[in-house]
Amino acid sequence: MGLIKIEKIGGLGGFGGPHLKSYGERDVAELLLADRTALNLLFSRRKGKLLKLPNNMQIRDGFNYRISRETEAGIETIVVPESMVPAALIACIKDSIE
Amino acid sequence: MSLQTAHNHLCQCSIVPRDVLKRFSEDIKLTEKERKCFSDTALIDGELRKLRAQAGKLTNIINTLSLAPVVIAGTPAITVANCNHSQTLPGTPISTPGSSTDLTIKRAYDETKAVAQFYKNVFGRNSIDNAGMTLGSSVHYGTNYNNAFWNGMRMAYGDGDGNIFIDFTQSTDVICHELTHGVTQHTLQLAYSNEAGGLNESLSDVFGSMFRQWRLDQMVNQADWLIGHDIMGPGATARHFTCLRDMANPGAVHCLAPQPSHFSEYKPGMDPHYSSGIANFAFYKIAMAIGGKSWEKAGQIWYKAMVDFKPSPNMKMKSFANRTRKLTASMYPANAALRTAVDAGWLAVGL
Ligand SMILES: [Zn+2]
Repeated sequence: MGLIKIEKIGGLGGFGGPHLKSYGERDVAELLLADRTALNLLFSRRKGKLLKLPNNMQIRDGFNYRISRETEAGIETIVVPESMVPAALIACIKDSIE
Repeated sequence: MSLQTAHNHLCQCSIVPRDVLKRFSEDIKLTEKERKCFSDTALIDGELRKLRAQAGKLTNIINTLSLAPVVIAGTPAITVANCNHSQTLPGTPISTPGSSTDLTIKRAYDETKAVAQFYKNVFGRNSIDNAGMTLGSSVHYGTNYNNAFWNGMRMAYGDGDGNIFIDFTQSTDVICHELTHGVTQHTLQLAYSNEAGGLNESLSDVFGSMFRQWRLDQMVNQADWLIGHDIMGPGATARHFTCLRDMANPGAVHCLAPQPSHFSEYKPGMDPHYSSGIANFAFYKIAMAIGGKSWEKAGQIWYKAMVDFKPSPNMKMKSFANRTRKLTASMYPANAALRTAVDAGWLAVGL
């Protein structure tokens, strides 16, 4: 129930492609209440789709994060822009070349 | 992360859901000072959103009415701010970035100024909005940050992690790539997904590569057509990666982000940094067939296709290809070889 898996995608280099990868994971129990609350809100509203920014926020080459968690109903996944991801989750990922 | 850092993070972030802020501002587990910070942020955030919405409406009205903003003579002001490794934009303004001893700051200033000059001298454009908009850059964004981006209003550059990537201001094509996202935002207004997203990314690569060639005064056959060659770190070069993308050979093994080069390989939902390979390769083929310098003819056609029409957020690649075909005929009516080159270039990528 407790593991959050996170993958960074996009950016100028197109992370998530064949070579540029960025993964991490974190136990929910290790997250502070504030981060858990923020994360729960993101999951409750944005299941399965990219969180939409206001129309005039035209970020280009920004990173998005694919975040998955296990629930009793199965694995839930959301994709959200970097600015909405709690810093504690961003801190657990590592960029690499595969 | 401590609670203090958590709330600092939320207080600094520009896009935190308002209900999260509201909930924390009423959370009795937090101190009074922390609750006040969240309620203040919610207030500022609300006002900022209104301000952005107004700015967005104004841009849309101007574009709808096809009213060009009053063109200010001269070149735009160039500003640079230092994020000092935070992810808060814009960062601390630098008073004289052109004479800074911090080479990243100086480079961001010098190369942005050169991009403004490139757009002015080669295409007659006065800055991103063709009305002298100040060009703002933020450097030293984040820690070991492997990216550069356009946030809708300014450019931001990370320093790289020193392994995969180095300082993102090192590649002149990257600087023009980001700035061109601004030009696209003020002209074609292409979306950032599906075919329009691929075109959006391709325009940034095409103008980025042209700018790098212009800086080096290169003929098309002297250029390497690489994107991001100068930001490759030791870990990437040790693995024989020489670039992010190669416009001359989008699927090459030396690309960290190899791309499709034919429309038959396009799939809806593809990251625009991959689908852009199709239009990138067409531009390369066309520029090489024409010869000379890329910005003299091919670049002029691409520029007109970008700025001389109404916004087309969901433009298809085929429509863009056909637009350049028509423009070639109208701009260079006596040049049959040019028409053949443009047609053949697009046909080679299946468009
Ligand atoms: Zn881009």
